[in-house]
Amino acid sequence: MGDVLIAGAGISRFGRTEHTTGRQHAVHAVRAALADAGISWSRVGAAFGGSDAAGLADTLVAQLGLTGVPFINVKNGCATGGSALVSAVNAIRAGLADVVLAVGFDKHPRGAFDPLPADWGLDDAYGRDGLMVTTQFFGMKIQRYMHEYGISARTLALVAEKAYRNGSRNPNAWRRTPISADEILASGPVSDPLTRYMFCSPGEGAAALVLCSPDAARALSGVPVTLRAAVVRSRRFGSFEVFSPWVAGGELTSVSRDAAAAAFEVAGVAPGDVDVCQLQDTESGAEVMHLAECGFCADGEQEKLIADGATEIGGALPVNTDGGCIANGEPIGASGLRQIYEVVQQLRGHAGERQVPGGPRVGFTHVYGAPGVSACTVLSR
Amino acid sequence: MLSTLGTLWTWTVQRYAPKSPPYVPPPEGFQPFAVGYVELPERLRVAAVLDVADLGAIRIGAPVRIEATGGVPRATPIGET
Repeated sequence: MGDVLIAGAGISRFGRTEHTTGRQHAVHAVRAALADAGISWSRVGAAFGGSDAAGLADTLVAQLGLTGVPFINVKNGCATGGSALVSAVNAIRAGLADVVLAVGFDKHPRGAFDPLPADWGLDDAYGRDGLMVTTQFFGMKIQRYMHEYGISARTLALVAEKAYRNGSRNPNAWRRTPISADEILASGPVSDPLTRYMFCSPGEGAAALVLCSPDAARALSGVPVTLRAAVVRSRRFGSFEVFSPWVAGGELTSVSRDAAAAAFEVAGVAPGDVDVCQLQDTESGAEVMHLAECGFCADGEQEKLIADGATEIGGALPVNTDGGCIANGEPIGASGLRQIYEVVQQLRGHAGERQVPGGPRVGFTHVYGAPGVSACTVLSR
Repeated sequence: MLSTLGTLWTWTVQRYAPKSPPYVPPPEGFQPFAVGYVELPERLRVAAVLDVADLGAIRIGAPVRIEATGGVPRATPIGET
């Protein structure tokens, strides 16, 4: 199939504000992406985008311009950005348009994400007894993983410490103050073994990409990056997900494993070829487990890799170089495209203080979320 | 009918009061409580509230008794009552 290029990438300042709406974040990110590609909004032939909780993307035409562009709303939980991206890629390959926008944005208040049992097909008792709490799932998944593979609580703290350190080098991040591993361990338990500073927080922000065909790219001024694969998958039987009254016995399946393997196959590269990656880090344990689920190491190797600094910006496999969800917060609709924005900066050599040395050539992104969905991409320059 | 005896597959402690509604705290007020999954011989793991005396003594692999309640199953380490 024909290559699809990323001609422009834009992002807004992530965080939590009183006055900025999710749509305002989105307009900012889209205009930044258009400027990066060196085009005007009227050049965009189709658009795909969405948010989980901040409104419909197609209403953005009121600010961007009433050009008549087909603008399709996407709503797919944590895979909203990835799904918008896949739709944009398919639109280019199908010949619908040669320049296509993908945008993801969101805005969540403090304490967002209050699921009710009935919305998940569960008995009301799960809410009454205090089990409708997402952090419990994250605690229980990493608790089991630590037991099976010898991961220490200190490793979880090192992951968060790296996130805040990388965030301090990222002008668009929310959390820009370094926090030590000791402070992270002492920040108070939330859902054992995870502490407060090991978690991301619901937040706000937006990211946008201008995608194009190779022919269209020749007429644009930006520095294009090739999107080698963009894959979305949902879970198979036997996975362990949030709000599960029961989990099948035996070895767990993983939607992240499935999506990552599919992305690498489509791209024709192996995890060992990747120079920089962004992995879903809803909390520290997720980054640890996703390193293995996405194929970057064997289960248990993370303990030594992280202690040795392999996942640092100067390490063998830099992970979440922009600070990830832990430092940027989690605006659900925006996170997947934020990751791609970051990889585009890294592959172009434009990542400033957080630039991975040595001229990275291949990047990878991964999101994971409820109720068992994952989106992965492979990019190269 | 599923077995009532199994082993603790994983667990965590809910350290802060979940949002009410839907959570209904006990009459004496919220106290941190444990939840987990109990692995049964029928090759599945069942979510349960863990009734334990000491939140610091919970161990993966510990034998537990699990009982249906009409709501969320409850489990107790064998040896504790």
